[in-house]
Amino acid sequence: MSHRLMIDGQLERADFVLKLTLDIDMSLPVGLMGATGAGKTTLLRVLAGLEPCFHGRITFCDEIWSDTTRAPARFIPAHQRSVGVAFQDSRLLPARTVRGNLVFAMHRAREGGLTLAFDDVVKGLYLADLLEQPTESLSGGERQRVALARALLSRPRLLLLDEPLSANDIERRLAMLAQLETWLSSETVSVLYVSHAQEELRRLTHQMIMMDRGAVRSQGATDALLTEAMKLDDPSQDQSAGEEATVVATDADQLSVILQRAAGAALTDQSGLVPGDRVLIRRVTADTSRRDLPLQPQPEQDESQTE
Amino acid sequence: MAGDVQAIWLTGLLALVTTLLLMPLATPLAWWLARSPSRAKSAIEAVVAMPLVLPPTVLGFYLLVMLNPDTFLGGLWVRATGQALTFSFSGLVIASMIYSLPFMVQPLHSAFRAVPESVMEAAATLGASPRDQFMNVGIPLARRGFLTGAVLTFAHTVGEFGVVLMMGGNIPGETRVLSIAIYEHVETLNYDAAHSLALGLLCFAFLSLWLVYRFAGERVEVIRG
Repeated sequence: MSHRLMIDGQLERADFVLKLTLDIDMSLPVGLMGATGAGKTTLLRVLAGLEPCFHGRITFCDEIWSDTTRAPARFIPAHQRSVGVAFQDSRLLPARTVRGNLVFAMHRAREGGLTLAFDDVVKGLYLADLLEQPTESLSGGERQRVALARALLSRPRLLLLDEPLSANDIERRLAMLAQLETWLSSETVSVLYVSHAQEELRRLTHQMIMMDRGAVRSQGATDALLTEAMKLDDPSQDQSAGEEATVVATDADQLSVILQRAAGAALTDQSGLVPGDRVLIRRVTADTSRRDLPLQPQPEQDESQTE
Repeated sequence: MAGDVQAIWLTGLLALVTTLLLMPLATPLAWWLARSPSRAKSAIEAVVAMPLVLPPTVLGFYLLVMLNPDTFLGGLWVRATGQALTFSFSGLVIASMIYSLPFMVQPLHSAFRAVPESVMEAAATLGASPRDQFMNVGIPLARRGFLTGAVLTFAHTVGEFGVVLMMGGNIPGETRVLSIAIYEHVETLNYDAAHSLALGLLCFAFLSLWLVYRFAGERVEVIRG
């Protein structure tokens, strides 16, 4: 079965025009990156069927979702598209428990999409202890996990994930990333994954789309695009000149390390660092075309582009 | 005294029937008002709110003219039930439903408006059709609106006077409700009887409003969704 996604059209807003021309094979997860305001979330909304004013044509898996180029115009509403969305702002159903939100999704599950078991999703996204809690009492990271679980359990054919892990701590993010890798590669579901975290994009996606000011700027293999983006973003910084340091100790999970800087300088030099500060150490591999960036702290993509 | 007990019972029955019939009619109307982008909305809102500003006698007069057995609607009712709508309990129910319509619609309207669009969108992407969203997202979030609407409609119907006088008259066991009974007691200078009924209504009005403020007065926090 073809997983081809084709978009050709535009959406006009008072302050913003989104012009989209895209033709991409979605059989493997696709990443989506771009500065804040580039139109990533709006693109997801167009795909989900939440923008009835979109003018143009969208087809997914040879199915016409939207076509205003011929009369009568065709528009498949959101609830008939078999799309699952993990919104950036979670959007959990109020006055329901976590379980209530998940059950709502499962009762309306679609045919022919992702099929994951309730127990696996709950376990994999650390929701077991939260099931009976009302959604109002959850933290931001917890809400995100519920939103992601809910989207997965609604069994979509196209999964739109808008920074689904960003509010969780690094430990959980890594574990859930591994979990998503397994789930999303073993299933017949198409994924569009929005993230600022390059590590997430590298691990989950093979191709990606870069957006800029309401249009698709480039499209291609994830590694190549990210490497190029890094050069564009940081022309002044020579990545290979990373500071040398020796690992003194690591914790059990290898998630944090204590480093001895090569020069032996105290942590109060001109960098202004004091013990307790979190620092960004770049690991430079022998092959300079494949740089693995640490997960955090990470400069926001939009900030580095506007500089 | 027996007549007063009958009036109390009749008033309670009228208010109950009115509330129960009005709720399922007002709910979709309030939902439509809260969510539709239609331009006809303001006109419909004005029509719904009219009983708030019209003198009840005007409303009663038009209902009397429209529902009497010589008209199409009135004649239809006579053929179907063998009874006239005017000066009957059924006629009073119809009149009360129109008279109390804003008291049911407006609390529901604000409750539905407080349901964030973002939550409805999320429900849609989970496969919920618009009707499903209404039944399983909108209505459960509007619980306080339902309580407020029901209590206000019930209490307002209990206090109805002008409309009943115009199109119901004063038939014991059929249209003689509490407010009419009080009026009649005062007319016949029976102030003691009027006092006991009036005091009862006073207490009832306080209790119902207290109920609304106590249990539905707090603003529902649905915005956080």
